[in-house]
Amino acid sequence: MRPGVLTLKGFLGHDDRKLADIIETDHQTVQRLHLDTARIVACLQDLAERGADLMEQEVLVDGRYLIKVRDDRGKIPSPWDDGLFEKGDVDLVDQKTGKKLKWNRLTLRLLEAHGFFGGYGSEYRIDPDALVEILDPAAISVPPEN
Amino acid sequence: MTPIITAVLVLSALSGILTLLLLVAEFFFASYGECTIDVNKGEKTFKVEGGASLLTTLAGQKLFLPSGCGGRGSCGTCKCRVLEGGGPLLPTEVPYLNDEEKKTDVRLSCQVKVRSDIKIEVPEELLSIKEFDTVIESITDFTHDIKGLRFKLPEGETIRFKAGQFANLFSRPYDDVREETSRAYSISSAPSDNRAIELVIRYVPNGMVTTYVFKHLKEGDKVRLIGPFGEFFLRDTDREIVCIAGGSGLAPIRSIILDMIDRGISNRKATFFFGAVSQRDLYYVEEFKAIEKKHPWFRFVPALSKDDSDHPYEKGIITEVVARNYGDMKELEAYLCGSPGMIDACVKVLTGKGMPIDRVYYDKFS
Repeated sequence: MRPGVLTLKGFLGHDDRKLADIIETDHQTVQRLHLDTARIVACLQDLAERGADLMEQEVLVDGRYLIKVRDDRGKIPSPWDDGLFEKGDVDLVDQKTGKKLKWNRLTLRLLEAHGFFGGYGSEYRIDPDALVEILDPAAISVPPEN
Repeated sequence: MTPIITAVLVLSALSGILTLLLLVAEFFFASYGECTIDVNKGEKTFKVEGGASLLTTLAGQKLFLPSGCGGRGSCGTCKCRVLEGGGPLLPTEVPYLNDEEKKTDVRLSCQVKVRSDIKIEVPEELLSIKEFDTVIESITDFTHDIKGLRFKLPEGETIRFKAGQFANLFSRPYDDVREETSRAYSISSAPSDNRAIELVIRYVPNGMVTTYVFKHLKEGDKVRLIGPFGEFFLRDTDREIVCIAGGSGLAPIRSIILDMIDRGISNRKATFFFGAVSQRDLYYVEEFKAIEKKHPWFRFVPALSKDDSDHPYEKGIITEVVARNYGDMKELEAYLCGSPGMIDACVKVLTGKGMPIDRVYYDKFS
């Protein structure tokens, strides 16, 4: 998790809370907002796919999201030691709110398998409160029961 | 219910204590003494102290098996055949081995412990992998995010490699990075230039090694390299070849073309398509143009995907440019180097034009 071990900047940013507390706080936010982690991951994956360009140029998706997908060689290990994930950062700028998101395949793995959204100040933090402003809340919320 | 829970707890506690005792006993009493590792039926033998993993022990003897995870058992790349003395196959190895490998005694060297004399078999080319304590002779800015580095080998040492192979560069500890870290980069120089190694490196934002290369390294610095590695090299046929690269993927293609010149291979037509966004992403253009002028078998085709200025190069995405330059490609073979996405797109175009997939060579470094 610390900077300079698996990645240059680590996963915690300037957050000095315990890992369990970081995960728990975000878990509570996710519940309060009625978000569904698997749907968040699916939504971000979909945006990454639609924003990909062979020459790594920015692509405007849905007339709103300016997305740039890097396609780097090599893999990054998970801090949970549960696999290696292909490199390649996705940078998204929401032109409506001006808010930004940054993620890669490992970020999504940590989010989906471990409920870890990143520490405060981490470039790769997927803040649940920001997500509902950037993405369509209906697409990332717990689906209504029939 | 309570007796069941108590029984489970007692059993778990007993197992835990026994495991702990075994670990303590192994630490204090298990001395495996001197063991002999026989490599490739006596081609090399090492007298080593037992107790460590085969991967680590071999690295200590300067025999480097490729490893993507540093011996954690999570990448499955450090395979070799263990003919004798490897002990039983471990559950941690099983997911990484296919049936054929299990039958032929292939093991993950990071999971095999050296406890007695061992006989192993490794691919012949691994025996030529060496560690080099080099000095940076020059650093050249090729583009806004690509540098070329030339590393001088220690006095009296030479490297033997096939054009197209790569080497691992080790960064020293810096800033928050407390340990040496390594990454693979293709060699761009010719095998005949065996007193030095040239690498082409593209900056990866937040990359541990490229940040070191771009922000900390300077000419005259010492750098540790290990190599050569890789299965990406020119096949020994008479077929016409098409090379396609983008960004730092130019490196192994340059090595292959320079090697063809050195070896006097003039009976094979070779075309190199280099894809870039705009003119600022092009480099080595003068060198390849000069080769083209001197060697009629070679053609250099830079292609720009997003540059409306007046330029002499092909326009369009590299896959489109390749597609419009060829009809049927079933008699050709291809060498690709670039991002995984670019390689996938090129493979689709090439096979769509009839090239058999087993004649499309690339190294995704994955």
